[in-house]
Amino acid sequence: MEDYLQLKHISLSYHTKEGEVLALSDIDFSVQKNEFVSIVGPSGCGKTTILSLIAGLLKPTSGEVLLDGEKITKDTSIGYMFQRDNLFPWRTIYKNVTIGLEIKKKKKDKESLERVDELLKKYGLYDFKNSYPNQMSGGMRQRAALIRTLCLKPKILLLDEPFSALDYQTKLSVCDDVHSIITKENQTAILVTHDISEAISMSNRIIVLSKRPATVKCIQTIELGDIQTPLKRRESPKFSKYFDLIWKELSNEKEETS
Amino acid sequence: MKKRKQVNYSKEHKRYLKNLKIDKFTTILAQVLLLVVLIGLWELLTAVGVLDAFFLSSPSRMMVQLVDLFQNGSLFYHIGITLYETVIGFLVATILGTLIAIILWWSRKLRKILDPYIVVLNALPKIALGPVIIIWVGAGTMAIITMCILICVVITTLSMLSAFLSCDEDKISLMRSMGASKFQILTKLVIPNALGEFVSVLKINVGMSWVGTIMGEYLVSKAGLGYLIVYGGQVFQLDLVMASTLVLCILACIMYLFVGILEKRVGKHKE
Repeated sequence: MEDYLQLKHISLSYHTKEGEVLALSDIDFSVQKNEFVSIVGPSGCGKTTILSLIAGLLKPTSGEVLLDGEKITKDTSIGYMFQRDNLFPWRTIYKNVTIGLEIKKKKKDKESLERVDELLKKYGLYDFKNSYPNQMSGGMRQRAALIRTLCLKPKILLLDEPFSALDYQTKLSVCDDVHSIITKENQTAILVTHDISEAISMSNRIIVLSKRPATVKCIQTIELGDIQTPLKRRESPKFSKYFDLIWKELSNEKEETS
Repeated sequence: MKKRKQVNYSKEHKRYLKNLKIDKFTTILAQVLLLVVLIGLWELLTAVGVLDAFFLSSPSRMMVQLVDLFQNGSLFYHIGITLYETVIGFLVATILGTLIAIILWWSRKLRKILDPYIVVLNALPKIALGPVIIIWVGAGTMAIITMCILICVVITTLSMLSAFLSCDEDKISLMRSMGASKFQILTKLVIPNALGEFVSVLKINVGMSWVGTIMGEYLVSKAGLGYLIVYGGQVFQLDLVMASTLVLCILACIMYLFVGILEKRVGKHKE
């Protein structure tokens, strides 16, 4: 299969008055179409920075990012989900979900609007389209945030710890929700998380990063058989094996530093 | 989801609601009583001669004065002039201050360059500019409005700028990831996000614009409530001073109420 997203020898340094900090060093990996990849690593290692690079919000110091064979520009359609849903409290759910269309000046585009309605109906938010975010539960809000990105038919979805602000119970069910939406819509997704179980339960592959300056430490393919929901994947006997593997990779990392 | 109003409350809840009502009622009652007692005492003590009505005026004398002003037609004339100056000053300062804040939000460089100037302007007592204003725009209504604008505009700029800058970085990144231009980020995110702060600024400006106008009228005026107060003071007519002050209180209250209504509309949907 051809590589859909390619990060080619990416390095990035930050400049501050105190000096230059190398955040990413020679990051090199690729993601296939419709694949779900997670990135885990010690906190502060630059996981979010990698997403910002893919989204085109930051430019690498060296190396390049190619999506579908092309360089990322302002017009590349990218879906970005954050830790918090970032719904605008002064807009109704419908207006929140369609803000991307407004930005792209497609507010009157019939096809896009039909897709919005279809997504809202399919994922149980149609009845709440005139509600305001503060009237909804955390899970529903996160689903709305996902639909907001899907409206623009993103080429790739970037998830930056989107479940970490939710309580454990909600987190498990929202994980299932989001995972099923992403699979149904045939989206390619990259998830950044510090939660190893979350990463294993959702992804096809896991990229383990080293501490700063971050490099790709190892890439672990997760094979838990047929398509299953994240919750069921957590029950698989192989699950704990993968957990140990990645846990060890990450704790090695800590020992080396101390 | 918000819960619908339930009809069948438990006894405890009914008692709770009743207590709430009683609490609210007694508060308002005490507020009214306080006012009545103060006015009553004032009237009583001046009537029996414990306090000198010449220095303190009295509620009845204030009323007589107001009726007098009303009958010779000058009450609404003076109110009209002061109100006109205040409202114009208030509107111009609010709009101008917000526009300056938008420009400063837009350009980080300009913000950095102008920062010390704004700080100094904010600290400067604007009344000190009184003579300069009179020379530049003439001793008339324009001078009063200019004073009013000067007093409100700096604080408006500072408050709005800090509201614009406090916009959540994640939300800005979100807009950028969807390909939003800077102008779109401004109009769709930064400005609506600062609406709550804008209402607070309006509230501050209601108070400040009255300060500006009355101060302006103290400096130069031929009419208006500030003029009546200064004039009353000069001829030792405390009735006039007190009556005009009372009218000012009422006007400021009304303007504040308007902003209050606006606040309720804006503040409906917060995070």
